[in-house]
Amino acid sequence: MFKAKRRTVVSVAAVAAVLLAAALAVTLLTQGSGKADAGYVFYPESQRHIVPDFTATSLTGTPINFASYRGKVVVVNFWGSWCDPCRSEAPTLSVLSEQYRSRGVSFLGVDVSDTPVNALAFTRSVGITYPSVNDSGYSVTQDFSQVVPISGTPTTIVVDRTGHVAGYIYGGATYSALNTLLGDVAVTR
Amino acid sequence: MTDVHTPRESASGETEATRPFGENETEPDVSGSGATAGWPRWAWRQLTSMRTALVLLFLLALGSVPGSVLPQQGSDPVAVQQYFASHPGLAPWLNRLGLFNVFAAPWFAAIYLLLFTSLVGCVVPRTLRLAGSARTPPPRAPRNLLRLPHSASYASALAPSAAVDAAAAVLGGQRFRLRRPGAGDATFWVSAEKGYLREVGNLLFHLALLGVLVSIAVGGLFGYKADKLLVEGQQFYNNTTALDEFHPGRLVSGSDLAPFRLTLNSFSASYFTTGESRGQPETFHAYVTYSPSLGAPARPYDLQVNHPLSVDSTKVYLIGHGYAPVFKVTNARGQVSYQQATPFIPANTGTMTSDGVVKAPDASLGFIGVFVPTGIMVGGTLESVFPAPDAPAVSLVGYSGNLGMNSGVPQSVFQLDTTGMTKISGSPHLLLPGQTWKLPGGRGSIAFTGYKQWVSLAITYDPGQVPALICGILALVGLLLSFLVRRRRIFVRAVPSGTGSVVTVGGLARTDASGGFEDEFASLAAELAVGGAAGGPASDSREPSNQSETGA
Repeated sequence: MFKAKRRTVVSVAAVAAVLLAAALAVTLLTQGSGKADAGYVFYPESQRHIVPDFTATSLTGTPINFASYRGKVVVVNFWGSWCDPCRSEAPTLSVLSEQYRSRGVSFLGVDVSDTPVNALAFTRSVGITYPSVNDSGYSVTQDFSQVVPISGTPTTIVVDRTGHVAGYIYGGATYSALNTLLGDVAVTR
Repeated sequence: MTDVHTPRESASGETEATRPFGENETEPDVSGSGATAGWPRWAWRQLTSMRTALVLLFLLALGSVPGSVLPQQGSDPVAVQQYFASHPGLAPWLNRLGLFNVFAAPWFAAIYLLLFTSLVGCVVPRTLRLAGSARTPPPRAPRNLLRLPHSASYASALAPSAAVDAAAAVLGGQRFRLRRPGAGDATFWVSAEKGYLREVGNLLFHLALLGVLVSIAVGGLFGYKADKLLVEGQQFYNNTTALDEFHPGRLVSGSDLAPFRLTLNSFSASYFTTGESRGQPETFHAYVTYSPSLGAPARPYDLQVNHPLSVDSTKVYLIGHGYAPVFKVTNARGQVSYQQATPFIPANTGTMTSDGVVKAPDASLGFIGVFVPTGIMVGGTLESVFPAPDAPAVSLVGYSGNLGMNSGVPQSVFQLDTTGMTKISGSPHLLLPGQTWKLPGGRGSIAFTGYKQWVSLAITYDPGQVPALICGILALVGLLLSFLVRRRRIFVRAVPSGTGSVVTVGGLARTDASGGFEDEFASLAAELAVGGAAGGPASDSREPSNQSETGA
């Protein structure tokens, strides 16, 4: 019967269309979860969260209180001597820390899941002069992850003069990304 | 799914009394509707049919086969790279089809979603129909009750209306649902129906099934799984930075994790020392302390296999253990460049012979090592004979040069890239705890200062687990109810006869699989006769004959 044949063809097409639409929807959903690769995130002043105050021990054993940085822009870098992208971004951070020192920008490393011995061996070999706190137990990371999404190392966070998170770089920091971010923060305050 | 409806048979002359139990509405006729409205409806009916659900279930099973045959990106990315290297022609095509990440592939999700839609589309209309049928009153009493599978009659001294009232009282007392004649009906009858619990059971089963589906979906969207390797003396917070592997559900973000803190104070394992099971593990204890939330006081817990820690409905399981030898590496200038407990991975869980690497990039030194908890030398080779740390030793192969760790490309912490390095003479070198290997050529030294143990933890949060269990139990209860309870109808009609009346009783049961309705009917009929009073016992009681079983 002609009508029945046509009906079968149309029905198969309908089922195929449903399958295709579902597959497409799922593909779009899957892709939607990815971040656009802008390199960094900048928060306008109204959307900034304040970093909880903490005290931690530096790699050389002196206590560092985060509140003592109030009034300065702080670049907080989460790193580890075992982390390859952290090692490769370190010279860039070192250069920027020297450049911005005179402009009231401090750098502070948070050495995650590491031993002070390993970390100091690295900072010595790269020539990093800014301090790092030991965070082998992830407590500083936990403090920061309440106000900014840290999904691993390296992550570089810029804290403004009032102690609020002004922006962050996920993954290895490039000179241009951090330079732009620091420029934005310096302009807004 | 159970099929709750018997196929509709053409009732042979009988009225609505024998319509299938629980069906009073007629199915809408879809064949004659306009083509534009018909196709989507037809496609929907096909999708929600049992056959399609089974085909999709089969496809789901078939689709997961490559997931277990081929290496998967999510679980073993290194193996995927190796597959690409060994099958350069085939691998890109497999990759295009998503076969290296089957469970995240769009086609796999399409099957899953269609199956879900199919099941929901199948269950929801059934649920609505069942809910309707559970509320339906019994049908009108048929004219000739003697034609029903079970029937009886007796004479009563009461007038027809009083006789039917008496019967209704008896049936009502037995918790039958009753229906009496409408205003325009001049005959005397009562219809009674019992066993609605069957429909309730069916309803419960279908609703619970929906609940299971929703629970699984909720678990998949809001749950997560993570792994963490933790060395004795170390602590971590449950955040994405601290976790080694993190597999979140689609709607989970890092800030959704319960922020507990956990410290591994010590780990102990005991092994059978004699007999056939020598070397087999006997007990594992991971002594931990944890704080359920930030600033909360720490509590101790003895974490064991199959004895997980539950924090804030997040479960922490002990899934593995191993040894972490402690090394101290000094560079050529005598500065300590590396000092830490280095987790080694068991290559043989029977003897706990473990492999690992020591990377001291800032001393330009790297070591590939084997740790044995109870080591003996067999023909110049170090072997472990027992999993407990009775005579620990390490054997190290040293390399000097650039470890390639500053290129920015992430390496595995368990692998040493020796391409830019040269092997140090004197390798392999055996070290016992406390011993130091002074490397030739003044390159520095490595000391094996002791060992610690580590545990691997699985951290899971599945908000759908408990609801799924509850719904599963409810589904079982519903299924049992629908199997064990049967729906049955009793009809009573009275006609005037002299000063009294003749009362006929008819009975109908559905799926009398477990039997017993015959007896129930007989005793009920007798009771009605007594209740109808003064007429004496049943004068005529017929056994079920070869009459039509319509609706039964």
